[in-house]
Amino acid sequence: MIEASVRKKLGTFSLAADLNDGGFICLAGRNGSGKSCFMKAMAGQLPIEEGFVRVGGTDVTRLPIEKRGVVMVIPGSAIPHLKVDAHLRWGARLRKIPLDEERVAKVKADLGIDYGGRVRTLSLGMRERVSLATAILSSPRAILVDEAFSNLHEKEAFITAYRKLAGEAGIDVVFSTQDESDAKLADHLYVISEGKTQKRA
Amino acid sequence: MNWLRAISIAALVLLLVPIIVLLYYGLGPFRNPAGYSVAVFRSIELSLFSSAVAVAVDVLLFTPLAYYLARGQDRLAESLVDIPISVPHPIIGVALLILDSPISPTGKFLLGLHINFYNTILGLVIALVIMSAPIYIKSMQPYFESREASAEDFAMGLGASRLRTLFSVVLPDSFDGLTSASLISMSRALSEFGSISIIAYYVLQYPFYGVSPASVTIWEFFSGNMSGGLEAAVTASAAMILVALPIALAGHFVRRRERLQ
Repeated sequence: MIEASVRKKLGTFSLAADLNDGGFICLAGRNGSGKSCFMKAMAGQLPIEEGFVRVGGTDVTRLPIEKRGVVMVIPGSAIPHLKVDAHLRWGARLRKIPLDEERVAKVKADLGIDYGGRVRTLSLGMRERVSLATAILSSPRAILVDEAFSNLHEKEAFITAYRKLAGEAGIDVVFSTQDESDAKLADHLYVISEGKTQKRA
Repeated sequence: MNWLRAISIAALVLLLVPIIVLLYYGLGPFRNPAGYSVAVFRSIELSLFSSAVAVAVDVLLFTPLAYYLARGQDRLAESLVDIPISVPHPIIGVALLILDSPISPTGKFLLGLHINFYNTILGLVIALVIMSAPIYIKSMQPYFESREASAEDFAMGLGASRLRTLFSVVLPDSFDGLTSASLISMSRALSEFGSISIIAYYVLQYPFYGVSPASVTIWEFFSGNMSGGLEAAVTASAAMILVALPIALAGHFVRRRERLQ
């Protein structure tokens, strides 16, 4: 469950966004609508002036990024010098969460990661798959996916698989998109425009 | 005609005149064997050794500070970094002298532990660390700033602290930046004179017993304390430039290449 109510002024732009749901949530909006700002605020990368962020019942508003249990994934998230397998385990190792071979193999298979090697040598889409899988395997409370689904081929199949994995692990996911029709893959739809959110479904 | 280019080249020549003069006279008309004697090479050796150690300390101690400045918004800390090199350099030598002299409590304490800065390699290295660290920091900070923060934000979201992120995410991917900042600060350390002429005019320790740092040796020739006079001073300067210049150029070359990539 993510409960966020965020007020933030950035120059002439003002963010007044609310979100109150669990599961797999689609956040749709055009360029400049405030999707990324809202997600950064929830992840702790952008300090907010007013409001709160609660994840799984815990108030994380004042917590630093690393203590929130919220992972934000963007297209450039992958850690370039790691090898794919080390990358996948990196977050779990950090949190001292034991990971068995089977689970890693399942996530890799479900998300179409059938390659290895250094992350820096991979294509953007391959790197995105690795970062998204790493996020799942680190068992956070929530994952915020900012446009990181958009560059993937067979996007719908990937999102469906991701939704299933996150659901099994009990992780809430918010993903942003410019394409409102992606909402059919989600449990809930929020539309954001000029910094304001509106729940549609 | 590109006037900006013409003015820039003229300005650059102006900057390089002293170096050209030293190389021309030192290797040409003023050439004097005392300027490339064993004594001179021993002192260049001491300078190279102490500067290299100082830079190793810079890397260990000041990389976290440079990263902190790059990713935090600490304007105060940022402005404090430059202070050691914005005061007359001999003052730093005097400060180290007081810090480790029998007249000060810190000196009593340090000397009680047999830690002596005066005319030792330790004192020389400490002075060089203080005088080169600001250059190191000011070289690393923009390097860190120019890196995309996305992998770092991701790592922190996964639960890594800032320090952990620096060591596990940023540094393994910063070899070029570290190399160029090290070389640039090494050339800064090699060129230091003011502070070390106070704290370590010469070193009284094996394996450099009685050896002065290169900049001090050049001064010794110039001031007449060592025979050879102006000619030897200029020749020794040219020798020093031939050693130091490639280090400075390599530092900038590495940085340049990494910008082009």
